[in-house]
Amino acid sequence: MTVILTCRLAESSFDPWEELRQFAQAAQGAGAISSFTGTARPLSSNGEPVDAMFLDHHPRMTLSSMREIVDAAARFGCDYRLVIHRCGVVLPGEPIVLVAAASAHRRAAIEAVEYMIDRLKTDAVFWKREDRPSGSAWIEPRAEDHAAHARWEQ
Amino acid sequence: MRICFFGKMGDVIGREVEIEIPASTATVAGLRRLLAEHFPAAAGALGEARLRACIADAMVNDSHSIAGVERVEFFPPLSGG
Repeated sequence: MTVILTCRLAESSFDPWEELRQFAQAAQGAGAISSFTGTARPLSSNGEPVDAMFLDHHPRMTLSSMREIVDAAARFGCDYRLVIHRCGVVLPGEPIVLVAAASAHRRAAIEAVEYMIDRLKTDAVFWKREDRPSGSAWIEPRAEDHAAHARWEQ
Repeated sequence: MRICFFGKMGDVIGREVEIEIPASTATVAGLRRLLAEHFPAAAGALGEARLRACIADAMVNDSHSIAGVERVEFFPPLSGG
């Protein structure tokens, strides 16, 4: 199989299902396709509604941090890998991130997806702000995000 | 010198500011002190070690020289994707 890696920073809304359809088409011959789609939640962790989320990014380092993660997932022996991540203003319900992997057998594809999303949640160069009716709040990774990341370093 | 701030610091100070650097300011640590004088409301945050300085897309420590540097960027802790 040819290795196909896609890594994109999306400045406006994208359609994860159409992206996945194209990914599946490109990955023809793979026996397993796994994916994860993250969408913006309508409620904050304190239960307050979120009007919008702002994902601040760095003009070069954000994309290079994403590429590093997609490259590192080669360890699972998965030749097709995809990451698309939003930046800018994201409205509740809109997709934030799509991660996909395809391989000959299911385990590699599933593990590669888990690995990429766990690392994106802590290592990708993003700063998230939730705009709520009571004001704006900048978000830091949660303890469980760090724990999910640490799992892959053992 | 151009100074860029990301995340929360961009909201507090501004995303990009231009500052004249006196000859006595030679390191990142000195730059933090100078910025704290310019932006007293952010003085505490500017002194925090978890606010990382970045030059030419690489994280640098406080003793790093800023001689001849045109742009320094400051990164608050990442929130992740």
